[in-house]
Amino acid sequence: MIRIEGVTKRYPNGHYGLTDVSLTVHRGEFVFLVGPSGAGKSTLIRLLYGEERPSTGEVTIDHFRLTTMRLRHLPKLRRQLGIVFQDVKLLPTRNVFQNVAFAMEVVGASKKEIQKRVPQVLELVGLARRKDNFPNQLSGGEQQRVGIARALVNQPTYVLADEPTGNLDPDTASDIMRLFLEINRRGATVVMATHARDLVNQLQKRVVAIEGGRIVRDEARGAYGYES
Amino acid sequence: MYVMKRGVHTAMSLNSMGHLLRETGRSLTRNAWMALASVSTVTISLFVLAVFVVVSVNVNHVTHILENQVEMRVFIKPHVSRRQEMVLYHQARHWPQVRRIDFFTKKQAAQNLKNEFPDQQDLFQVIQKSNPLFDGFDVYTKTPQQISTVAARMTKDPIVHNVVYQGTVVRRLSRLGNILKWSGWVIEGLLAIATMLIIVNTIRLAVFARRREIQVMRLVGATDWFIRWPFILEGLIIGLVGAAAADVVVGSGYHWVLGRAATSLPFWPMAGLHRVLDETTLFTVVGGLVVGGLASIIAVRRFLKV
Repeated sequence: MIRIEGVTKRYPNGHYGLTDVSLTVHRGEFVFLVGPSGAGKSTLIRLLYGEERPSTGEVTIDHFRLTTMRLRHLPKLRRQLGIVFQDVKLLPTRNVFQNVAFAMEVVGASKKEIQKRVPQVLELVGLARRKDNFPNQLSGGEQQRVGIARALVNQPTYVLADEPTGNLDPDTASDIMRLFLEINRRGATVVMATHARDLVNQLQKRVVAIEGGRIVRDEARGAYGYES
Repeated sequence: MYVMKRGVHTAMSLNSMGHLLRETGRSLTRNAWMALASVSTVTISLFVLAVFVVVSVNVNHVTHILENQVEMRVFIKPHVSRRQEMVLYHQARHWPQVRRIDFFTKKQAAQNLKNEFPDQQDLFQVIQKSNPLFDGFDVYTKTPQQISTVAARMTKDPIVHNVVYQGTVVRRLSRLGNILKWSGWVIEGLLAIATMLIIVNTIRLAVFARRREIQVMRLVGATDWFIRWPFILEGLIIGLVGAAAADVVVGSGYHWVLGRAATSLPFWPMAGLHRVLDETTLFTVVGGLVVGGLASIIAVRRFLKV
């Protein structure tokens, strides 16, 4: 369970990223974070994976208290999380298989586990036949699928996505979104910041709207609610 | 359910070991020129260190030999009769400062030399035919302070050619040894700083070259030390390779010097190759590892925010 309680994030320059935000996400939920650019969606995601700490308030993920956690325990939390970015952050010198395998190598997985897990995840994201290609040989949608495969390969409890379809055309974005739904159906909790209005409206999932660093709306089966 | 938990690997497993070696090797080859520059700098500064060690081992060697020799040696002018020599001998025996006095002929002197330098047999063939050495006395005083008094008295005697007393030589040599040691440490300290700056920069470039990997590693939960180790290892390897290169250069250099010294300075006692190499290897390997390790730790702390 993710619990955010009375969190304010104030940056050293005096700018407020978030003001008095409280939010609870249960296991197995699928949550869209929506709102204008600069509203604080990314800040919220960054707080969840420990890249930033709140100025006041509490952030808890399962038994991890992110506000007081020692930095050296951060890796343990991160192994429960799969993080997907708009700019996928693939390694250009490694092919698809190696990019996904890298995430397993660096947490100390064995060759055997890697050989078993990576093809499964590539199958799930529909890239099994592209495993020997390098990132620059892939389309934007395919690159994002690699990013998702990498986030999933260590079997995270939570998947955090910061505008994963931001760079993609509507059809590809729809495919990617369906992939996240499938991941959620298989048990992972998904928190996604997005601007994909049509998809949010269509999917009827929980929608949390953020404006000016505050939560202004939280609906169980919500709509995007903004004109784009 | 799709979600399945796995424990966090905190200990360095064999898998991680393989990763560590692969990543270090990759970084060193990708950064080959910078790595080479670092290794050369390490080599040069450790070479200087090793030269200091070589000189200082030799100074100590000579000092030690001299300390174990007689306190004072009095050489008699050539063509002085044995009777005149014996007169001085018997007088000196009763000087209050003299503890003991031994007479030696130039023949005995030649024999002693021959025993001290077994490698120079052909030279002694010549010496035995027309011996250029002197007769003389080995004089021991009751206290070291009396050496100069006795030496002065001996020098005044008309049949005495010259007096060599090792006390001063030993004192001068050990002072020289100290000066060498201290100037060596100062120069070496400066070189170590310069070397470290270059290694720090090499590691910094390596960190920069791998910034994407590092970012991904952090995001998927690699531990700090898992990320750091390849860079630390890179620094250690640079230090070690530099040390090995310096040892090869110094070893072959000293081997060559020993060869030259045997012909042109046959009476100069040089410390043996193995003894010198033992010392230089110890200093260079420890020095290389310390400089390389320290530099990479500094670089990782400053440039690798994990």
